Amino acid sequence: MSINPKPDQSNWEPTVVAFCCNWCSYSGADLAGTSRLEYPTNIRIIRVPCSGRVNPQFVLKAFQKGADAVLVAG
Amino acid sequence: MKRIGVFVCWCGSNIAGTVDVEKLSEEIGKMPNVAYSCNYKYTCSEPGQEMIKDAIKEHNLNRIVVAACSPRMHEPTFRKTLAGAGLNPYLLVMANLREQCSWVHHDEEKATEKSIALVRRAVQKAEFAVPLEPTTDSVTGRAMVVGAGIAGIQAALDLADSGHEVVVVEKEPTVGGRMAQLDKTFPTLDCSICILAPKMVDVSGHPNIKLYTNAEVDKLDGYVGNFTATIRKKARSVDEEECIGCGICWEKCPNSVPNKFDMGLGDRSAIYIPFPQAVPSVPVIDRDNCRYYETGKCGICQKLCPKDAVDFEQEDTFVEEEIGAVVVATGYDLYDPTRYPEYNYDKYEDIITGLHLERIMNASGPTDGKVKRPSDGKKPEHVTFIQCVGSRDSQKGHEYCSGVCCMYTAKHATYLKEHYDIDSSVFYMDVRAFKKGYEEFYRRTTDQFEADYLRGRVSRVYGEGDKLIVKGEDSMLGEQVTLETDMVVLATAVEAKPDARKVAQTMGVSYDESFFMTEAHPKLRPVETNAAGVFLAGACQGPKDIPETVAQASGAAAKAINLISKDEIENDPLIANCDTSRCSGCLRCIPVCPYSAVTEEEVTEWNHGEEVTRTAVNVNESLCAGCGTCSAACRSGAMNLRGFSNEQILAEVEAICL
Repeated sequence: MSINPKPDQSNWEPTVVAFCCNWCSYSGADLAGTSRLEYPTNIRIIRVPCSGRVNPQFVLKAFQKGADAVLVAG
Repeated sequence: MKRIGVFVCWCGSNIAGTVDVEKLSEEIGKMPNVAYSCNYKYTCSEPGQEMIKDAIKEHNLNRIVVAACSPRMHEPTFRKTLAGAGLNPYLLVMANLREQCSWVHHDEEKATEKSIALVRRAVQKAEFAVPLEPTTDSVTGRAMVVGAGIAGIQAALDLADSGHEVVVVEKEPTVGGRMAQLDKTFPTLDCSICILAPKMVDVSGHPNIKLYTNAEVDKLDGYVGNFTATIRKKARSVDEEECIGCGICWEKCPNSVPNKFDMGLGDRSAIYIPFPQAVPSVPVIDRDNCRYYETGKCGICQKLCPKDAVDFEQEDTFVEEEIGAVVVATGYDLYDPTRYPEYNYDKYEDIITGLHLERIMNASGPTDGKVKRPSDGKKPEHVTFIQCVGSRDSQKGHEYCSGVCCMYTAKHATYLKEHYDIDSSVFYMDVRAFKKGYEEFYRRTTDQFEADYLRGRVSRVYGEGDKLIVKGEDSMLGEQVTLETDMVVLATAVEAKPDARKVAQTMGVSYDESFFMTEAHPKLRPVETNAAGVFLAGACQGPKDIPETVAQASGAAAKAINLISKDEIENDPLIANCDTSRCSGCLRCIPVCPYSAVTEEEVTEWNHGEEVTRTAVNVNESLCAGCGTCSAACRSGAMNLRGFSNEQILAEVEAICL
């Protein structure tokens, strides 16, 4: 059995929620900005003080509210 | 009731050029908990901040969202604005519209859509923001400087002159570092040791300085303002208190080994001081090369010592020092040129590095300042320099420019001509002489002292008879060139010390891919690190010349003085706290805490008229760094992180997914 998230995949853009550690990946995302590196708009960053802060509940909440992918970076 | 004010910043055209700020502030204004929403060209400017203060009063706002640049940039600025308007500074939430939206996207419509989600997230976080008060801690008014090269010496003297006690820890048996090995310094051709030695003596004699040589920092515990350093004093085999530095021991020692300080060009005894101006003038026994340690016989030094200071049984000892701030000044190393097999550095004695030449030219060096070839002792008539050995070469060396080699090569070429009448040729990639007096110096090297600069790389160096042949390219003429020369000097790259990574980890400082330690901000916080209370000076942070090192060392000292002069410091209130009424006492939070900030405690409470004692936990506010790992591990939801609470993050997730 295959699970297809959306029937029409041609224009489908996933929503990605990223939990980024303030000290590394969040500042890395800032560096991407200062270096003017372009990436798609469908990634939304939430700042956390450490990737260790990310409770599995936050990840489940994101999926529950419609996120297609969750990135924990730290 | 929450009355949230949202201020959208244009950042000139940085944000407004990509995001429709009018639409954004209008959309956000429709949110039920937003009492006021506006946009402004430069929110961080004086009038921008005044506007926020006025709006807080006029609209009776009690939570503020600033949608502008990264919070890593201006969160402190806007927190002060809130405090200025009488609001608790921690009622501010920022939305990162510049670094994480307008600068990385070009599609205006999509960027505006994303910006709405980002600001909505911030608004929902602000909904759950609570006022926070920082706690305070006392500060130990002493500092530690790790490394006593010119960077460490300068930082230590500045700190000591400000009236603070300084602990200086140096790995080598003497202070002085690399600068002590140099002969002259560019662009003024000052004698290096002549300007350094007085400072070395000052460090050892300063009433506020406690000097540990032949010692290393094993461990750094504690936190900003209150560190405890464990220092390992390596066995010297000589009693520092008793020794008077008379020199009988090293004169009579029968063993002879290559002198590391002279780059192996000369010899020293097994009991030695690294160089005549060494501070302290107390010898150390090189146990790997000492006859007594090898055979159990000899002991001449011990027999001859008039003060009975030689102690073969001496062992490493440990001391603990309480300090408030740390300056790391551990310096650099030089690239190993054997990684360029075409230069045949390990095959021919007359192919040397710049630092070898420094020792050869030095009056107290192995040749007493006479320029001689290491192979046959003859004076060379022509010397060829090869620049960028290990620098600007991502294949075999480092991608970065070492910054000092162009100038030290020019110095060598100038000095060889001026004092020894030796001609030189220099193979270079680009000459980078960009500081005060450097370009003028380089011009004199080529014009007045007639050094022959050839732009191009060298493909091979090999011996022929008693000459060396250098084959390379002159890319200006587009020709292959072959030079016959007497000595080849490689301008080897500056690189991090082999133990830089270990030192950085001990100090809690981050490092880059080349193992240079990283400053907190490349422009605005160049001497601070991400470890609060730890500062950087000199080449451990990146290649530097002496003037820049001294400037940075004074900067680091000023920052450290700033910290340790205070009676108390404020702790960041964004830390964990435990609601003991909900704590089940499972103690899952204790092993996950990287800072050992969580401790078990007994709580006594009244339960149905009975006094009950049970296990819970307590967070040490000074040790907690606010990572929040404990709250992610907490099963009962008792552990929460101020400023990044469970309620806040869940609200953010919900808002951002809409």
